[in-house]
Amino acid sequence: MFLAIREIKRAKVRFTLLVLAIGLLVFLVLFQIGLRDGLIGQFIGALRHQSAPVLVFDAQARKNIEGSRISPDAQAALAQVDGVGRIGPLGESTFTVSNPVSRAKSVEKDRLIDAVLFGYEITGPAAGLGAPTTLTKGRLPTGPNEGVASDRNRSEGFDIGDVVRIEPGGVEITVVGLARDINYSVSPTVFVSWDTFQAARKVRNPDATVVFPSVMVVEPVAGVSDARLVTNLSTVSGVVPLTRADAVAQSPGVASVSQSLNTVIGLLVITALMVIGLFILILTVQKSSSLTLMRAIGAHRRTLALSLLAQASMVVFAGVIAGAIMMALISPALNTLGVSFSFSQLGVVGVGAMIVGWIGSLAAVLRVLRIEPINATLPPGMQR
Amino acid sequence: MTNALELHDITKTYGEGDNMITALASATLAVASDEMIALIGPSGSGKTTLLSIAGGLLSPSSGQVIVGGKDISHASPSELTEVRRSTVGFVFQSVNLVPFLTARENLLLVDELRGSRGKQSRDRADRLLDELGLAKRLNNLPSQLSGGERQRVAIGRALMNEPALVLFDEPTSALDTHLGEQVMELIQSEVKGRGTAAIIITHDRRMTHWCDRTVTILDGHLQTDELATAG
Repeated sequence: MFLAIREIKRAKVRFTLLVLAIGLLVFLVLFQIGLRDGLIGQFIGALRHQSAPVLVFDAQARKNIEGSRISPDAQAALAQVDGVGRIGPLGESTFTVSNPVSRAKSVEKDRLIDAVLFGYEITGPAAGLGAPTTLTKGRLPTGPNEGVASDRNRSEGFDIGDVVRIEPGGVEITVVGLARDINYSVSPTVFVSWDTFQAARKVRNPDATVVFPSVMVVEPVAGVSDARLVTNLSTVSGVVPLTRADAVAQSPGVASVSQSLNTVIGLLVITALMVIGLFILILTVQKSSSLTLMRAIGAHRRTLALSLLAQASMVVFAGVIAGAIMMALISPALNTLGVSFSFSQLGVVGVGAMIVGWIGSLAAVLRVLRIEPINATLPPGMQR
Repeated sequence: MTNALELHDITKTYGEGDNMITALASATLAVASDEMIALIGPSGSGKTTLLSIAGGLLSPSSGQVIVGGKDISHASPSELTEVRRSTVGFVFQSVNLVPFLTARENLLLVDELRGSRGKQSRDRADRLLDELGLAKRLNNLPSQLSGGERQRVAIGRALMNEPALVLFDEPTSALDTHLGEQVMELIQSEVKGRGTAAIIITHDRRMTHWCDRTVTILDGHLQTDELATAG
C-alpha cells in the first residue's frame, strides 16, 4: 500500500490519465446499461413491475400480450391446476385518448394520443393480482374510472388529477396515482380495474358481448415455487405459462434489444480489461529495476504482487467514481432519451470494474512473480 | 564471537556436462563481525557470484554458507528473502534507489518491508541521513540528487535494517576518484562505527586501503588474503 500510494502521488499526470480513461469506459458502460434498461423499461416495464409472479399467455400469441386472448375454457382449466393459489385476468389494449382535464398547460383538450390500458381485478379473490408495484405518488385504484399512470408521462396529461378519456367519447379515467417504469410499448400506460378496462374495450367495440383477458395472472399456493407452478400450468393445452422474469425476457423485441446492447457492453468490458491490463503491465515493466531491487533487499513476491493489486484497485475505484460523476452530470439530459441511472447499476458496474481491473493486472502480477532478486547484481540492460 | 560470514568450500556451477561453467570453486572465507574486506579480481572472476551467495541472493551448488550465525546453505527462497531483509545490507553497482520514493522513503522502505513503521523508523532514517550529510535532502527524489548523494542514500538504506553484514558491489565505480575516496571514508566510518562486517567489491586497488584486508579472486578461486597497508 505504501508503495502504491507513493507511486501514484509521484506520477499524478500518468495516473490521472488512466483514471480518466477508465472513468470514460465506466461512463460508457453505465450509459449502455441505462439505455438498455430504459428501452426495455419503456417497452415492457408494465409486465416487469406488476405484482403477479406468473403470467399465462395464449400459445398462438407467441408470448406477445397484445396478441394474446385467454378463452373461458382455458381460464376454467387453469383455475383447476394443482398449485394455483389465486388467479385473475389481466387485460391489455391500446386506445386513442384525449385529456379533458389536465394540469399540464401544454396539453390541449382535443389532442388525441395513443395510450395503453392494463386492467386487473381490484376486488374479489384475485384483488390486486397484476397491480403496479412501483407506486411513487398517490394510490392504487379503489373503484371504477380510476387509474395509476406511468410517471414518465405525467407532464403529457397523465398527472394525478388529470382525466383521460377513451375516444371516441367514452369512459373517463381519473389518474389517482403514479408509478415508475410501468410503460408498455413506449406509450403512456394506465393501470385500471378490470371492470373499467372492459368498459373501455366496449367503447371501442360496442358489439362485443364479452371481453377476454389478455393473459391470466397467477399466484401459487404457499410452498409451491413459481417455477413449479409454471410446470404445472404447462399441462393445460393452448397456453404458455411464464414467470414474470421470463415473460419480460422472452417478450418479442426485448431479447434482441438486450442482446445487441449486451454485445456493446461486452465489447466495452473487453476494452476496459485491455486498457487497465496494458497500462498496469507497462508501468510494471517500466519499474522492473525498482521491483528487482526491492526483491533483493527482502521484499516477498506476494508483497509486491499485493501492492500492484492495491494500486490497480485504487485506480479502478477512482475511475468508477469519475465515471459515476460524468454520468450524474449528464443524466438530466439523458432522462429525456429514456436512459436511466441508478446507484444499484453503479454498484454492479463498480464491482465488475474492480474484477476487470484485477484480471487486467494478472499479466503484470505474473511478471512481478517472475522477478529474480539476483538480477539486482547485473548491470542495467542485462537484467532478465 | 560469531563471525558475520562463513563460507566453507563453496562451489557454484552453471549448466551441465560439457557446458558446465564453474563460477566459484571451493571458496572458503570467514569475515569477523566487525571486519571490512575488499574483494578484488578481474571481470568474470566470480566476485559478484561470491557476493550473491554471501547475501542470500543465490544458493551455492555445494558447500556451507553461514550468515550472522545462521546456516543458509539449503534455505528456501522465502527463507533467503527473510535473511536479506533482516541480516544483510546491500549496495548494488547499478540500481540502488526506487526512483519514485524520496531519500527518506527509500530508507523507510526497508522497515516497511519488515512490517515496521512509525516514529521510531522515521527517526532512525532521519538520523542515518543526517550522519551521511543528507539532512537537507530528506525529501528529494533520487533524480534530484547527485551521484555521490545517491550512493550515500544507498549506504543509508543498506544500514537501515542494522545488518550483521553489508555487501557493497563496486560502490565507487560510477564516481570520480575524489568522490570515491569520500564514499569509501564514509563507508568505513559507518561500518566501523556500528561494528558491522562488510565486503566491498572493487576494481580499484587504490580503494583497498580503507579495508582491514584484501581478498583476491581469480577464475572462481580465492587467491590471496593480504592485510591492508593503510587506512
